[in-house]
Amino acid sequence: MLTGCGQGRARYTPDTLRVNIGNEPPGLDWHTATDSTSFDVVSNIMVGLTQYTPDVKCKPSCAKSWDISPDGRTYTFHLRDDVKWSDGKPVTAYDFEYAWTRLLSPETAASYAFFLYDVENAKEWNAGKLRDAARLGIKAVDAQTFKVTLKKPAAYFIYLTAFCASFPMRRDVVQKYGNRWTEAGNMVTNGPFTLQKWQHEYKIELAANPNFFEGAPGVKLIRMFMVPEQSTAFALYENDELDFIDNRSFATPDVERYRESPEYKNFPLLRESYLAFNVKKKPFDNVLVRRAFAMAIDKNVFPKILRRGERPADSFIPPALAGSAKDSGMPFDPDLAKRVLAQAGYKTGAEVPAIDLLYPNREDVRLIVEATQDQLKRNLGVRVNLVNQEWKVYLATVRKDAPPLFRNSWGADFPDPETFMNLFTSYNGNNDTKWSSPAYDALIETAETERDPVKRADMYRRADRIMCREACAIVPAFLATQNIMVKPWVKGIAMNPLDLQFFKTVTVK
Amino acid sequence: MLTLILKRILMALPVLFLVATLSFCLIRVVPGGPFDADKNLPDEIVANLKAKYNLDKPLPEQYVLYMQRLGRGDLGVSYKYVSRTVNDILLDAFPVSLVLGGLALALAVLVGVPLGAVAALGRGRWQDTLAMFLSTFGISVPGFVIGALFIYIFGIQLRILPVGLWESPWHMILPAITLAFSPAAYLARLTRASALEIVQKDWVRTAQAKGLSGSATVLKHIMRNSLVPVITVLGPLTAILITGSFVVEYIYAIPGMGRFFITAVMNRDYDLILGTTLIFAVLLIMANTFVDIAYQILDPRMRISD
Repeated sequence: MLTGCGQGRARYTPDTLRVNIGNEPPGLDWHTATDSTSFDVVSNIMVGLTQYTPDVKCKPSCAKSWDISPDGRTYTFHLRDDVKWSDGKPVTAYDFEYAWTRLLSPETAASYAFFLYDVENAKEWNAGKLRDAARLGIKAVDAQTFKVTLKKPAAYFIYLTAFCASFPMRRDVVQKYGNRWTEAGNMVTNGPFTLQKWQHEYKIELAANPNFFEGAPGVKLIRMFMVPEQSTAFALYENDELDFIDNRSFATPDVERYRESPEYKNFPLLRESYLAFNVKKKPFDNVLVRRAFAMAIDKNVFPKILRRGERPADSFIPPALAGSAKDSGMPFDPDLAKRVLAQAGYKTGAEVPAIDLLYPNREDVRLIVEATQDQLKRNLGVRVNLVNQEWKVYLATVRKDAPPLFRNSWGADFPDPETFMNLFTSYNGNNDTKWSSPAYDALIETAETERDPVKRADMYRRADRIMCREACAIVPAFLATQNIMVKPWVKGIAMNPLDLQFFKTVTVK
Repeated sequence: MLTLILKRILMALPVLFLVATLSFCLIRVVPGGPFDADKNLPDEIVANLKAKYNLDKPLPEQYVLYMQRLGRGDLGVSYKYVSRTVNDILLDAFPVSLVLGGLALALAVLVGVPLGAVAALGRGRWQDTLAMFLSTFGISVPGFVIGALFIYIFGIQLRILPVGLWESPWHMILPAITLAFSPAAYLARLTRASALEIVQKDWVRTAQAKGLSGSATVLKHIMRNSLVPVITVLGPLTAILITGSFVVEYIYAIPGMGRFFITAVMNRDYDLILGTTLIFAVLLIMANTFVDIAYQILDPRMRISD
């Protein structure tokens, strides 16, 4: 199919889907993987206790049902007896027990072990302080019953059972092949596809698993290429050498060209960009200054500059999640901004000392901070210096000693407001603003355990308002979007705001 | 000749040791570490990761551990590509770069040297102007522009060559030409300058005076002698081309090792940075040894008494 001459060849192969995943997945071991490229592959070869529906609810998968104890701390999962590994062996509760214990084991050094820190004794075990695995809240009662005990009720816990890090794993396979157990030929999985070929840094081929318990998927073969350069990937799509592409293969001018095409689609993701203040640094130690800055930024400019259909954000919780409210953030109001700045002791913006705005060296981010600089100059008369750093240097700077103003973004790990709101608790390691509020912390802690969804949403709404409006620790900017192009012969592409790509429903005819 | 090779191997060891030591120190001076990511990890997990890769040990101990492993030919593990060793990664990627770089090198020499010779022999005439226009173009236009241009013309408009990927010999044509472009241009300029200098030498005049034919003078006396500077740059050029090019691999989606010179640094993938640097150093030393041997064949004055 992919030979030299362009003319006269078929535009596609029936039952074969060709996609671009952009880069080499750092690893297909779902205990050590942490990135979306790896998860895009793992999500198609593995299933967990539950799985996400396209509207990111959890539905049964390996578990046909589950019971939650009255105190909300014990989950008992009842497994189906017809789920098989790709080598024919049944998937049992022991495979989950092994997997979760391995994820949490200090020797595995899994970055995402903390996702299970709500499990009883998990953190102590992961830190190496507890060596007795029997005291972990993880237990295979029998082959079909998997019991999890949490240290406190966690309303979002069920979402974690659909997350890659919590998928089952085969002890015998891992022990037999060691680090190489994820190579093609060694790997044993339970999902709609199996790993057939992995040419590192180039291509992954997934073959349909005819014995998948939900029935064989719609295509026989998926070829996942790793084309890093957007314009090359887009040219491959235009030349019918790829059937489906997303942001990774899309330069903004191409989005412009194809905006009206029936092959083009765009939808918001649960990833939000925001401007953050270091509230310990002048002049942002004064909440009035923070509010003035927030009100001087018109968020509608960001989508106009980035031109990928981004949505301006009015709150830190994205609209798709419970607790989101339009009035959680500060409104755009330049006149009021000037008056508030005057209250803070600066008669004009020129009196505010020039502010450094730090950002990582990336083209789209540069556009955002330039627009912010312009807005603050125009609407408030404040001078902003743009400071850029290479990505890892930027991360180290923000973590160690964040500058007064910096740009950041956060993507959801699971479809619940908790994934966003926990970020700004005083004890979260990712809260680089140095802002802390006992009222906010208390609301988040209560919301985590609250089982009434209405009450819970209300708590998150109040917390969002405290952070974005009353204390104004951050300025929500916009929600990122996913842009995709799909060839007319491809049907059934189901995208979701978590940006996970499931190809089991896709057909190529 | 054997002495020369032996001498070079003996000299290479301290050089490689120095390269490894310097790289080991320099990459640890750069701010940001391998486990810094978008999402900050809890301290317990960072501690587990550091323990797994021995990064929790004092720096001198890490250095000794690294050197011990290096002595066994083990380049270490990648922190980014979690289950792969640096040896695995480079073993997968190097053959691809070697093929592509080898093709590009052959192209660069086969096009660049004759182009320079034609320019020198036709000095001031249209051949010279054309050849120098081409070589100035090749030197000044960066690879990513040439690559994009080729993709647009041959891949998208004419549709006679693939726009990228690494599936068949067809897929090698555009990347090889892109990679060869700038070195060919450079070799052409070098050959021209060198040949112009040689043309004025006494022995050339002698050759012409004793009635040698034009082609014999050109081939035996002018070209052979003007190749010395060309051979000199071929050493480093070979090492550069066969270890891959980030730009060419990136735009044509080729799984070579050139990308790691950039991405390993961006990821602070310490062992992989050291691995790529050392491989490059070894190849450079090897290529320069070949250059020294070639000198002796080309120019008797350079033969060192064994």
